[in-house]
Amino acid sequence: MRSPLARARGWGSAREGVAPWWFERVTAVALVPLTLWLAASLIALAGADYATVVGWLKRPLASLLMVLQLTALFSHLALGLRVVIEDYVHSGAKIPALLAVYFGCFSLAVTGILATLHIAFAG
Amino acid sequence: MVTRSSDEVPRTTMLQRFPVPRNLGVGPESRIKRGRTWPAPLGAVRVKTFDIYRYDPDAGDNPRLDSFEVDLDACGPMVLDVLIWIKNNVDPTLTFRRSCREGICGSCAMNIDGTNWLACTRFVSDTRSRASIYPLNNMRIIKDLVPDLTHVFAQYALIEPWLKSKTPAPVRERLQSPEERRRIDGNWECILCFCCTSGCPSHWWNADRFLGPAVLLQAWRWLVDSRDEATGERLDALEDPFRLYRCHTILNCTRTCPKGLNPGKSIAGIKKMLLERRT
Amino acid sequence: MRPLSPHLQIYRPQLTSVLSFGHRLTGVVLGIYAVVLVAWLLAATTGPRAYSRMHDFMQSSVGKMVLVVGSFCYFLHLCGGIRHLFWDSGRGFELRTIYISGWAVVAASTALTAAAWIVGAHVAR
Repeated sequence: MRSPLARARGWGSAREGVAPWWFERVTAVALVPLTLWLAASLIALAGADYATVVGWLKRPLASLLMVLQLTALFSHLALGLRVVIEDYVHSGAKIPALLAVYFGCFSLAVTGILATLHIAFAG
Repeated sequence: MVTRSSDEVPRTTMLQRFPVPRNLGVGPESRIKRGRTWPAPLGAVRVKTFDIYRYDPDAGDNPRLDSFEVDLDACGPMVLDVLIWIKNNVDPTLTFRRSCREGICGSCAMNIDGTNWLACTRFVSDTRSRASIYPLNNMRIIKDLVPDLTHVFAQYALIEPWLKSKTPAPVRERLQSPEERRRIDGNWECILCFCCTSGCPSHWWNADRFLGPAVLLQAWRWLVDSRDEATGERLDALEDPFRLYRCHTILNCTRTCPKGLNPGKSIAGIKKMLLERRT
Repeated sequence: MRPLSPHLQIYRPQLTSVLSFGHRLTGVVLGIYAVVLVAWLLAATTGPRAYSRMHDFMQSSVGKMVLVVGSFCYFLHLCGGIRHLFWDSGRGFELRTIYISGWAVVAASTALTAAAWIVGAHVAR
């Protein structure tokens, strides 16, 4: 039977929140040129065969931009999904869902980066 | 298509409500049942039907939607006039808050035709052919159109909406330049009707922890008041993933404010301030 | 217990709330496409056989539909994201600007999606 003010105050301010908000915007700004590059490349590669695609990705600039793209993309995705889960999930499933998002995004980013580097260096 | 100010009522609508079941996700005590129809008085010429949300705490029933056929020639031009006419002539148990009848007290805030506004400043001629009146969204209902505003007012108290200063009060006024005084324009005029807060989807999902646009607008009002000396502490109290950062710039608040204020802009100001103090 | 008044069930969809929900929905959908991107890179690394399986799916009508939807989601999220970045800098909050920029986002996304596919079809020939 807490007072309305106690219920509104809750456990006080967490005194943090700027960092994830800011990094979501930083990755967003980075993603504007990076995804435009990816979209343009994919359009230019429309209907291309295996050799053409590998040849494109092997080039240093392409593999660098792809690595940057994957880093920014999965960081932005992780931050965005964190916010979505915090909005809608309030039960005990919240922490497992957040862990799944973090681990999933990190693993996917590493997988993508390794695949890109493998093509760039080993062909 | 392009709304220039919040008092504009759209003439055409692509979608009147989201295509979800009428009782989607509501608890059993909140399910709205069909109510009764109250026919127009004999001899009425200009008749309009209003569907009004009703809830009687003494009857122990679920809320229901009653339909009132109203004689528009017998009442004033505003939705509040219709409610008063119904209460005086048809159903005296219809319960709603009202006071100033001129859009300054904020008592008669309610959801009319799907958006939140003050009943006393909404023309009946601007409502749909079959108008609907619901109480403010996502609030515990005391009776009929009267929501329990205890929690939102507690959130308002949480931001400590008073001047905080350690400097002893001067003999006369605390001085403020016209420039400094202008910074609180667009914020001090809030009448705390809570149309914005109850129309914010983020507040629907996180009402317990998210402060909502009305409270955050007032928080901004005190942050930019040059006479206040506790800016840092106020920002510390706001910097929280839920209290402030549940705002995703949806901007239903700015669209619905019956006083034409801009909570979205003020909240963006708070976020900028929080970033700048650590950059 | 007192009943809770309806919200999503009766609130009027407006450009503000609909575009905001669209931004969130396209963001989540693009997350799934990010997985597809990594799968595509893995296929390119694994070898020509793995790649051709994916390539054939992309060329099929279902695959093309998937890509069309993905590209529209991308452009909507991109244009909406730029609109959000303007708001975060404190600009564009007047109601008239909110509505004009909102319709501009819808128009630009549609136009960019169409342009991308027209150019892509031209290149593939």
